[in-house]
Amino acid sequence: MTTPHAQQVSGELPHEPEKATLEGRNKVLGFWLFLGGEAVLFGTLFATFLTLRNQVADGPSASELFSLPITAAATFILLVSSLTSVFAIQAMHRGNRKSLANWLAVTVVLGLAFLVLEIYEFAEYMIHEDYGMTTSAFSSAFYTLVGFHGAHVLFGILWISILIGQLFKKGLNVVTAPKVYVAAMYWHFIDVVWVFIFTVVYLLGKVVG
Amino acid sequence: MAHAHSVKRYKGLMDWLTTVDHKKIAILYLIAGGLFFGIGGIEALLIRVQLAKPMNDFVTAQQFNELITMHGTTMIFLGVMPIIFALMNAVIPLQIGARDVAFPFLNSLGFWTFLFGGLLLNLSWIMGGAPDAGWTSYTPLSSTDYSTTHGVDFYTIGLQIAGLGTLIGGINFLATIITMRAPGMSFMRMPMFTWTTFVTSTMILFAFPAITVGLVLLSFDRILGANFFNPSMGGNPVLWQHIFWIFGHPEVYILILPAFGIISEVVSTFSRKRLFGYSSMVFATILIAFLGFMVWAHHMFTTGMGPVANALFSIATMLIAVPTGIKIFNWLFTMWGGQIRFTTANLFASGFIPTFVMGGVTGVMLASAPADYQYHDTYFVVAHFHYVIVGGLVLGLFAGLHYWWPKMFGRVLNEKLGKLEFWTFIIGFHLTFFVQHFLGLLGMQRRVFTYLPNQGFDLLNLVSTVGAFLMGVGVIVFLINVVISFKQPKGVDGDVWEDGRTLEWAIPSPPPEYNFKQTPLVRGIDAFWKEKMAGNKEMTPAEPVGPIHMPSPTILPFVMSVGLFIAGLGFMFTKDDFGNGLLNFLFSNYIITGIGLAITFGSMLLRSLFDDHGWHIEPDELNDKGVKA
Amino acid sequence: MTSHDSNGGAVKHRHRQEGPQKHIVAFIFSIILTLIAFAAVAAGGVNTAFTVLLLLVMAVLQVLVQLGYWMHMKDKGHMIPIVFMAGGFFVAGTAIIAALYWMWW
Repeated sequence: MTTPHAQQVSGELPHEPEKATLEGRNKVLGFWLFLGGEAVLFGTLFATFLTLRNQVADGPSASELFSLPITAAATFILLVSSLTSVFAIQAMHRGNRKSLANWLAVTVVLGLAFLVLEIYEFAEYMIHEDYGMTTSAFSSAFYTLVGFHGAHVLFGILWISILIGQLFKKGLNVVTAPKVYVAAMYWHFIDVVWVFIFTVVYLLGKVVG
Repeated sequence: MAHAHSVKRYKGLMDWLTTVDHKKIAILYLIAGGLFFGIGGIEALLIRVQLAKPMNDFVTAQQFNELITMHGTTMIFLGVMPIIFALMNAVIPLQIGARDVAFPFLNSLGFWTFLFGGLLLNLSWIMGGAPDAGWTSYTPLSSTDYSTTHGVDFYTIGLQIAGLGTLIGGINFLATIITMRAPGMSFMRMPMFTWTTFVTSTMILFAFPAITVGLVLLSFDRILGANFFNPSMGGNPVLWQHIFWIFGHPEVYILILPAFGIISEVVSTFSRKRLFGYSSMVFATILIAFLGFMVWAHHMFTTGMGPVANALFSIATMLIAVPTGIKIFNWLFTMWGGQIRFTTANLFASGFIPTFVMGGVTGVMLASAPADYQYHDTYFVVAHFHYVIVGGLVLGLFAGLHYWWPKMFGRVLNEKLGKLEFWTFIIGFHLTFFVQHFLGLLGMQRRVFTYLPNQGFDLLNLVSTVGAFLMGVGVIVFLINVVISFKQPKGVDGDVWEDGRTLEWAIPSPPPEYNFKQTPLVRGIDAFWKEKMAGNKEMTPAEPVGPIHMPSPTILPFVMSVGLFIAGLGFMFTKDDFGNGLLNFLFSNYIITGIGLAITFGSMLLRSLFDDHGWHIEPDELNDKGVKA
Repeated sequence: MTSHDSNGGAVKHRHRQEGPQKHIVAFIFSIILTLIAFAAVAAGGVNTAFTVLLLLVMAVLQVLVQLGYWMHMKDKGHMIPIVFMAGGFFVAGTAIIAALYWMWW
């Protein structure tokens, strides 16, 4: 049977395969809308953090707690991973599935490295300094904000890994392309949120905390 | 490619559990919303019975707190929101000439998460006590110090899950309206209900994430021992109020804007006139939405934000009266000189206008910060918000239900019963709430479970209770009307009101699964009316008859919601001692939570791995069904 | 900026051949902004108010670069994303302003 839909699945891949079908365009648009909502979600978390930034009770303050080298390393890793996901999308637009999958894999590895650093940082605070969710209002806000971001990173890693598998199984077509494109948007957004986190939480914490 | 025609069609219950058809999801929303509306209504009646006379002991103080909390929460999140979504689902794709919504799967997921969130919240009645800190759940009242049962946990987790469903629904309608409009339907040719749905969905998108965070913080405080709202560890209870109202104030506009859209459609249809001032109506809607995000702190005048903040929020709040006034006058001018027919739908719409104006006027009174220090937390506030929510939204919903009932079910509601229902409901409504203005001004506090005699409260409270039962009668008449309507044979005329203006009236009632055999070409505002005036019986098609692509039914949204339900229950009881080693082990190690999340994310994974290519309805099938000419 | 002419005239074709250069430029720009921010904090001793302002400007610039280039918001056909992202940031900003000015008294 030949319908427009069937042709698009099997036929020649257009330049921007993520926007070739109505389903694809809807998916990209819907995801933009979702990111608008995510902006409010993180905005509210930032508002909470800023409200409680000095409420350290008996615990250490931000400037006593944080170590800049770890944050700098994490920032660099996430920034590079954002670039590699751009390369992935460019590979997709060239129709190069192998290069696409490779760049996505690099992105996943960098994401994992970021996550390991964050877990290490949290473990330092929790185990060595006995600094947990319940220590103070500031600690609750810190773990919740940064932890929400970390959970987003984890979800992104799992998501992109599954997409790599699908690229090998199903190939690059107008069904898989929007999925990859949307996952890359998500990954950039995570990076954007991190820019605010390293600025507001860590750097400003050092300066005024 | 495993394509299409082999798709499994379900029957009976499975059909409803797996449906992704927006018209069926509309009916699901209506049933579930109606059910919760009934529960909330019974709670309201119990409250009024308790307050009918001074020093009454019909319920205890604790039960009273649970009743008012659940009444407010249920009505807003589980009663009227889903009924709004029912009408949106039933009507929006038809009004824009679309075959479906942008995300049929998400549409279904939104419904099921809402339903399971609502069920979880209401389970609290039989699982150790309902939430008792008011629908606003202000801290520290809602902290574990003062609210020792699991009630508030049911509130945080239940609303979290239900709120997720609402957010998903909002995104779906935004994308649908942006991308699925029929050829020729520009934004400024969209029907007013579509416009208000669009703006409401935008507000949902930006308001619900705030309450998501608020509920996370509150549940972390209660379950994980965090200190967001605990002053002894540096927390700040006012933070909750800000977060709640940054969501909560837009929420009330989320509720009322669709009602504005419904009224616009009904008034214009039954006046046989184009809506007066269409573009000013659109502008006013957007302005209300914008200002709606700027005024949340008028709920907090008495927290001591200082004169500058109070003045700013006061002025911003009063400004909202301007676009709202524009709307009121536009409706009046639409009726002016029209050939008005007072059908039940139009009666409700006409009753809406003065009633809502009364609620709006008390709103401006409350907006004045110095005066608010007197009104705050009195029955004056209770009267105000019931005038805008019941007198505004609920009258609007009844108008919409009567208006679109034939389109949804292919049967009309009885007009005689409808009129009885209107008069009992609106008279009961004003009896109940008009007197509450004076109760408030006399000094009766809201949320008190009883009061002493001879303070001037006795008679007014009794009147209020009598009115509440009259409203109850109105709702029962509506239910009888519904039952009677289902005794009729299905299949009224597509344009049952004869004066239908918008695209939904151009197709049969109820519409076929694919809505439009051929996508219509829209040549102006009030597209169907324009064609009728040009002497055409139906819309001009924008495409030849061809196979129609349909999404496959799926059980996954249901399963995902069950997973969230299990995870929520598991998370809530992590700290409990069940007196049973195995249960304690399962809950305290987050194993139940993990199982629930695994079900949800596992279903998500399945959805991603197995692409749904849908199926097709072929042209010969379309012709067999004898689509109405 | 050279990327500007990829929006005019013979666009479609040019755009397709678009190489990684401008994304690498955006990346380097981001790195520089990040370095300035970290350096300002590590150096210390500067006026606090100035540092705070500097950090915020660096963050906003970097976010604009990433949204514009990496998320393609500067490209055509992104009207709706821009409107809705701006809306989200606007509401988020309101919440943050409330947190900074009205939470404590």
